[in-house]
Amino acid sequence: MSATRIIDKKKLADFLETLSSDCEVIIPTVEDGNLLFSELGSSKLEDSFKGRPIVSPKEYLFPQKEKILAFDTTDKVNVDIKAYTNDKKRVIWGIRPCDLHGIKTLDAIYLSDFVDTYYQARRKNTIMMGLNCNEPCETCFCNSCQTGPFASEAYDVVFTDLGDKYLVKVGSDAGQEAVDKIPNLFAEATNDDEKKAGELEEKSKQSFQRKVDVDVAKQNLPESWDDALWAEESEMCILCGGCNFTCPTCHCFNIEDVQCGEKASIRMRYWDSCQLGGFTQMAAENTRENQAARLRQRIFHKYIYTPDKYDGAIGCTGCGRCIEVCPVNIDITHILGRVASK
Amino acid sequence: MQSKVLTTCEFCGCGCNFYLGVEDNSLTAVYPATSHPVSQGRLCVKGWMGHDYVNSYERLKTPLIKERGKFREASWDEAYKLIADKIQQTKSQYGSDSIAVFSSAKCTNEENYLLQKFARAVIGTNNVDHCARLCHASTVLGLSQTFGSGAMTNAIGEIGKAEVIFIIGSNTSEQHPLVASQIVAAVKKGAKLVVADPREIQLAKVATLYISQKPGTDVALINGMLNVIIAEDLLDKEFISQRTEGYDELKELVAGFTPEKTSEITGIPADKIIEAARIYAKGQASTIIYSMGITQHTTGVDNVISCANLAMLTGNVGKESTGVNPLRGQNNVQGACDMGALPNVYSGYQAVTNEELRQKFEKAWGVKLPAEVGVTVTDAINKIESKDIRTIYIMGENPIISDPDSNHTEQALKSLDFLAVQDIFLTETAKLADVVLPGVSFAEKNGTFTSTERKVQRVRKAIEPVGLSRPDWKIITELAAFLGYKMEYDSPSDIMDEIAKFTPSYGGISYDRLEEGGLCWPCPSADHPGTPYLHKEQFARPGGKGKFFAVPYRAPAELPDDEYPLTLTTGRIAFHWHTGTMTRKSWTLDREYPNGYVEINNNDAAKLGIRNKAMVKVTSRRGEITLQAKAVNTIQEGLLFIPFHFAEAAANKLTANNLDPVAKIPEYKVCAVKLEGV
Repeated sequence: MSATRIIDKKKLADFLETLSSDCEVIIPTVEDGNLLFSELGSSKLEDSFKGRPIVSPKEYLFPQKEKILAFDTTDKVNVDIKAYTNDKKRVIWGIRPCDLHGIKTLDAIYLSDFVDTYYQARRKNTIMMGLNCNEPCETCFCNSCQTGPFASEAYDVVFTDLGDKYLVKVGSDAGQEAVDKIPNLFAEATNDDEKKAGELEEKSKQSFQRKVDVDVAKQNLPESWDDALWAEESEMCILCGGCNFTCPTCHCFNIEDVQCGEKASIRMRYWDSCQLGGFTQMAAENTRENQAARLRQRIFHKYIYTPDKYDGAIGCTGCGRCIEVCPVNIDITHILGRVASK
Repeated sequence: MQSKVLTTCEFCGCGCNFYLGVEDNSLTAVYPATSHPVSQGRLCVKGWMGHDYVNSYERLKTPLIKERGKFREASWDEAYKLIADKIQQTKSQYGSDSIAVFSSAKCTNEENYLLQKFARAVIGTNNVDHCARLCHASTVLGLSQTFGSGAMTNAIGEIGKAEVIFIIGSNTSEQHPLVASQIVAAVKKGAKLVVADPREIQLAKVATLYISQKPGTDVALINGMLNVIIAEDLLDKEFISQRTEGYDELKELVAGFTPEKTSEITGIPADKIIEAARIYAKGQASTIIYSMGITQHTTGVDNVISCANLAMLTGNVGKESTGVNPLRGQNNVQGACDMGALPNVYSGYQAVTNEELRQKFEKAWGVKLPAEVGVTVTDAINKIESKDIRTIYIMGENPIISDPDSNHTEQALKSLDFLAVQDIFLTETAKLADVVLPGVSFAEKNGTFTSTERKVQRVRKAIEPVGLSRPDWKIITELAAFLGYKMEYDSPSDIMDEIAKFTPSYGGISYDRLEEGGLCWPCPSADHPGTPYLHKEQFARPGGKGKFFAVPYRAPAELPDDEYPLTLTTGRIAFHWHTGTMTRKSWTLDREYPNGYVEINNNDAAKLGIRNKAMVKVTSRRGEITLQAKAVNTIQEGLLFIPFHFAEAAANKLTANNLDPVAKIPEYKVCAVKLEGV
């Protein structure tokens, strides 16, 4: 890939606007104090911001609700079936390293042994532009998960906020092509720029409030299977599903045929939560009979099953969302800490 | 392309905010508001997954008129004209008071204001009420008598900082999840939690003390606690002498409620009653949280007064993180009450019997107004048989499933001369109507809801009304026009301006200000910041003092006997809302709980030979239902619990219309039943 570059902060809008001529450009924006992903044009580009939107950008590849197909049974013999596809071209700018990593994990799940064509169609039309984290949030622990605060992979382009300009690194051909659309917006980065980015990364790494010994936790997890901690940690769970819905790597869904005409329906898929009692009911029952087993499943899935099944990398990005959205403060770092200290 | 619209949740009174993601006039996503003081980026399962009903195929899309027992589609004008003619006819033949109007705690403040105005100024009756009658009518009366204001005294955010939390009759984690969030946070910080409930609710697991009173013995329990507090001199004498009256009568009465005597009535061991009293009284900031377990009794008002007595005796009111905090169920039940959708008051609890206030509204609305207090929802149903009520107009309520003794309610509504229903679905109640008008969901209109902490917040339109449905406020104004009364507003913001003009506690509220976030009433002027907690310097009663009432213990109206040996209590679960009209059409929620069930103690189930998940028949003097048994160890022996969401196993076929004598709230929490296998 080409050399590291810089772009003046004021020019970022020009860059993204140029890209938006033939695709949708998504950016993080602050509305009424809430950080949200939003479409460029309908919202303003923030000069700088802390943290990540409460719902991860996975929804641009795997939406909260999605139309799979439509069918009409008016003619009972020749049922009319239409599949939905979505090949909208999209650039998402400002994806934090945790979320870049989340998408990498989803790629492994959705594009390997079983290819999810809906995900695939969106994924190949999406360019991911990351933004490194100069300041971690209170609930973040990406440093412990080795997914952040600065991205080392899984991006097309990644930006580092140097104050009045961004350091820009290209990570793929698609990223190169995007940057090359208006090369004159970018200048070669100097050694000072690179040095400053390095300093920011170091500073960011030093400012985490949470730390998890992932290796020890992983090692101890199998032993913890029958531990009382699962019941203790899950006893106040109110079954909201928020931990799953905001997780950048949770990928379970359910299907519902939704009536839309006399004999016509649309098959929808929508996010599901392994914390709910009705999740994957086999014959009659959820195989995980209580909340302790369901919480254990959530943690084991991230820290044992995902690395076992895929390339060894854990399925938790350390983004801290499940901590932030939990109404009763179920805290994955606290749980892993307990496991690690056994 | 997707747009995101910030709005207020349509389910409970917590008042959480989130963004609705909208594509192609459909709701496709939810984003919790991280900056909102209650939500803080958190939601319950209904907030996340409860909105599919909005785009349901079953939505009413056009007005319907019933002819020869069948509905046919009709134009708006045709439907309006028919309703207007029937109202006129009833009015001229039998008088305005033979018509009743049921407003809706699901609808906005603006709509509730307009509907009570419609009842009073257009029809000419004070017969307007809504489902608050069925949930917190006892709160409004009980707290008005003791404190002078019938609402939650403190803000939700203060609960997290309380030293002691006393929950009585509220399954907070299921009914007000984001309030439970504050309670859990407080406990983690070291607060002491006392839970009193006949069912061992989830929060009991983290309670310092859990006590299990027999249903309907709350007055005795609290009197017993008051007895201990007085006997052990744990009371706040300064507060009592300076800020209250009526202490001596209270002292005399509770002297009889020794821990032993209280134990006999409540079934709680005497030492636990003493412990509960000590924990509560020794806290520097103790807060009481209650809900339907207190209010839905024939002693509902007495129960509420007892809570107020407890708070005043220990000086736990008028300060941060203290108070008496009734958690309001519906998203806008606080607002529907505030707006005067009640038979005795105009907006802001201004009495219809007060001549000066009546004249104020006569001048504002340009008509002569009725001076007599109207009938309640529960009385209206009872007065159909005697032909005192002949026509009912219902906006967004489903009394057949929500009111006690469903069979009786259904018979009554069927015998009306005329019934008009404004709703978003053809509910069990709408099916009985002569005319049905399609209103819209919270996602299709602008307005405001007032949450349980008296916070007025914006509801914003995210999608266009489905089919030919119209915003409920618009329907009321258009129907008024057919009755020859002009209600001219360009938008709900205009209606709020009128509310603010004539409602002192809402005087400073406007849409412009609400753009900056919600405001807690009282908010009397445009520069007033709102009032997070009440009664700081003095109580809102005339004279400024809080008043103790000595309340004797009365047993529930219908106790178990040989024929009906079990007690039934009813309520909600976290996954559904009331009569299920909305939540049973939301995919995840329906999947979680597609059917009703009855909770029974394991020992009772074993005695009766009932296996877990077996189908059983539950029978009361009023009806019977068949549903699945759920055997648990978290409910008292002798007690059953049935959620009332499920029309096909409607708990309210069993409940009795035994009313609190003052508040007219039914005793949903206690009736006698028997259970047998099928």
